[in-house]
Amino acid sequence: MDPSASGIQEPFDLIRLSLSERVFVKLRGDRELTGILHAYDGHMNLILSDVEETIMIVDTEGAPDGQGTVNVAKRRMEMLFVRGDGVILVSPPSRT
Amino acid sequence: MASQILPLELIDRCIGSRIWVIMKGDREFTGTLLGFDDFVNMVLEDVTEYETTPEGKKETKLAQTLLNGNNICMLIPGSAGPDDN
Amino acid sequence: MDDTPPPPSEQSPPPPPPATHTGSPTDFLKGVVGKRVIVRLTSGVDYRGILSCLDGYMNIALEQTEEHVNGVVTNRYGDAFIRGNNVLYISAAEVL
Repeated sequence: MDPSASGIQEPFDLIRLSLSERVFVKLRGDRELTGILHAYDGHMNLILSDVEETIMIVDTEGAPDGQGTVNVAKRRMEMLFVRGDGVILVSPPSRT
Repeated sequence: MASQILPLELIDRCIGSRIWVIMKGDREFTGTLLGFDDFVNMVLEDVTEYETTPEGKKETKLAQTLLNGNNICMLIPGSAGPDDN
Repeated sequence: MDDTPPPPSEQSPPPPPPATHTGSPTDFLKGVVGKRVIVRLTSGVDYRGILSCLDGYMNIALEQTEEHVNGVVTNRYGDAFIRGNNVLYISAAEVL
């Protein structure tokens, strides 16, 4: 059974096929990461290297109608463990 | 001895009828119940989602929908939902 | 002891054939794989795409995914893995 002809039978296959590739990870708390995926497990704990983290900071102070300004902070880490329960979404590099 | 009925037996009797689902947060659903499982994940049809946001109330119409049981708080059988008084 | 089962009555209807569609979550998911779906997270963010596959935790693999925040497309992913604990619902976006 392969409805999409993409060789994916279960969601984790998507992650398995992204090992050693650069992935995009969306985390709780308005955090985003891109990095090279080295390892994962069933909790979606991840090991990433060459990571760039992007944090969205919405500043609502003194802004009308709650239309706060969004500040983006970025930082780099060489090697990172991500605890699985914070993961919302993982997107592998495009396979096309 | 009073006849015992399990809570989920009551929900089983609602299959095919309208049901009102109230979530733990500020979110409610109504729809026709097609089925559910032991986690009370529910399949609903002709669904309306009701959201209470700071901007006001929001309604969304949905077709057949699998609702995650994780955030369900209460079920009201046979009700058309918040607008049904 | 004295209760013998009644002989098969000619009036009793034959058992109904097993329902092909019982409406259970499992049946819904079987029917919706390969179709366009809307996945809403508890945060209110929507992901619209083609459902590649999913597992018992409601972990989801989506193709041709669009991320919608307040009705605005905020991201596109060729593939996306969504961790099941974030999922509020999966709704069919085309006829089943």
